[in-house]
Amino acid sequence: MAHAEAAAKFNENEAKVNWHDKALWFVRQKRDKQAHKIQGWEQLRDYASALKANVLSNLDNYLVQFEENAKKNGVTVHWAANAEEHNKIVHSILQKHNAKKIVKSKSMLTEECHLNPFLEANDIEVIDTDLGERIVQLAQEPPSHIVLPAIHKTKEEVDELFQEHLGTKPSGGNPEYLTREARKHLRNKFLQADAAITGVNFAVADTGGFVVCTNEGNADMGAHLAKVHIACMGMEKLIPQEKHLGIFLRLLARSATGQPITTYSSYFNKPEEGKEMHIVIVDNGRTEQLSREDFRRSLHCIRCGACMNTCPIYRRSGGHSYDATIPGPIGSILSPGKDLTKHSSLPFASTLCGSCSDVCPVKINIHEQLYKWRQIIVKDVPQPFVKKNIMKAVGSILAKPKTYDFVGKSTRFMLKNTPKSLINSKINTWGHARDLPEVKGDNFEEWYKKKTEK
Amino acid sequence: MSRESILNAVKANKPEALPLPDIDLSVFDEDINLIERFKENIEFVGGRLLELDGLDTLDIEIKALYPEATKIVSCMKESALGTVPVSKDTDPHTLEDIDLTIIKGNYAVAENGAVWVSEDDIIVRALPFITNDLILVVPKNAVNLHMHQVFDAISERERTFGVFISGPSKTADIEQCLVVGAHGAISLTVVLY
Ligand code: SF4
Repeated sequence: MAHAEAAAKFNENEAKVNWHDKALWFVRQKRDKQAHKIQGWEQLRDYASALKANVLSNLDNYLVQFEENAKKNGVTVHWAANAEEHNKIVHSILQKHNAKKIVKSKSMLTEECHLNPFLEANDIEVIDTDLGERIVQLAQEPPSHIVLPAIHKTKEEVDELFQEHLGTKPSGGNPEYLTREARKHLRNKFLQADAAITGVNFAVADTGGFVVCTNEGNADMGAHLAKVHIACMGMEKLIPQEKHLGIFLRLLARSATGQPITTYSSYFNKPEEGKEMHIVIVDNGRTEQLSREDFRRSLHCIRCGACMNTCPIYRRSGGHSYDATIPGPIGSILSPGKDLTKHSSLPFASTLCGSCSDVCPVKINIHEQLYKWRQIIVKDVPQPFVKKNIMKAVGSILAKPKTYDFVGKSTRFMLKNTPKSLINSKINTWGHARDLPEVKGDNFEEWYKKKTEK
Repeated sequence: MSRESILNAVKANKPEALPLPDIDLSVFDEDINLIERFKENIEFVGGRLLELDGLDTLDIEIKALYPEATKIVSCMKESALGTVPVSKDTDPHTLEDIDLTIIKGNYAVAENGAVWVSEDDIIVRALPFITNDLILVVPKNAVNLHMHQVFDAISERERTFGVFISGPSKTADIEQCLVVGAHGAISLTVVLY
């Protein structure tokens, strides 16, 4: 389904859309407050962007350095070219330990690789332990936001899910009560787990360590209780040196949720005595994105979600409308690189207002990349007949001043006189929720002539 | 293993070498009262600050704050409140019903209310997360302005595990309503002395 259609579905419930829109805008405002509170915010962004650019330009060496140091620390390092290989590696580690019960903290990478269904098909229980992720897992849905996975769910919906799956009492959606119940339910899972899987926020080349950030403490509860800890990371998560963590940790939570830092920023270097630690480094299309000059900067992304919170389209269309693991503006430049035909409508799910690029902590030129994808898609992917021919017509009009003048006059005539029934008709998708602007008086040239003639 | 093919693909696809930026930390300088800023931030993240003149009254103050706590782990010799002994060999699963844990923190960060604790201070890694309530005790002169200073301060340590803790565990995953006490500690008190 194209993005616009899916968005239309989301918009059927107007009250919910309005709530979604406002809730995310509120998070964006919290981000602004935190960003303005500290000295040197823009320099932080500049440094972060330059660091990521340096990483990408030297990624092979950093990866080797990271591997070397991690091995010295007693960590086992694995390499996966794609999702399938990633899943097999994780599964083989679990098999070795006869691990049947797994707790997992938030990891967009394992979502991207569809790890859960793979492990479940192999008779392994995987429990997502981030509350938002647990909610969408119970609802059998993917996350709709990378930082706020269940932002599309109302508290009443969560209440019902918990009644059905956790046996809670009806509470009308009391967040305190529901969170307490989830805490109890997941505590048991942590205590029984054979192995823990986490994501990686930052991997440090010069120490071989990695950092995982959570507010709930779920990554740590999992990793420190289970015998085996498997950390799965996209290869772009590397940063050069430990001291650079200062830059990124200052940016991440402020950009994500408007907190000065996440509650826990856990820095793993060595496995605890008697335990095992594994890191799986995953490519899955990243080296291909690296080859695309216009789009490689998308690999700077630290997955803060700020571009989603600020995006007028995302806020009003919901994460699921993107039908991609990473939704929103950044998803719309990552996804076409993976499957251009499937995701060809995503770069158009933007007003190109540039707000995403303004808030991005690593200064990705998101809106410019969206525009670049559009140019490629219009050339490479068959467009609907109407859109294609309108574009052609507009192109030839703009090229000829005389025609432009005539068309301008007649457009203003049409704007004034076109019957509403035509604008809001069924075949004109554009007009489903819009009206034509009201036109007053002359065009600029006519107005200018009159003014100067006086 | 795909190691070689991945590395080769990276080598073939990466852009021309770009330099590491020179980071001028002076652009982050701020002339502020560090303790005040730390206090502001620790309260903002849902924690509590207790300022003491020394550690003589530490146990009395803790008792007053957590009168109900019976299963207590103390990881510092300055507090004699510990009732449950913990060593490197303790199975973390047995810590499930700990009421209160008292830990020494090495550094505090004014800009975000975080405290750095390392493996040596917590004995068992799961401890600061699995405990119901948590107390972190930090000397006043260990409060730094920002993260860069703390990373500098800890650069010589032996690297095993360490964590920045800023406030109690929390979530806002149900309609963005903030609830304190998700999976980790339900309350956090930082003692500055
Ligand atoms: S693109 Fe930038 S703003 Fe969007 S999630 Fe990534 S880092 Fe955050």
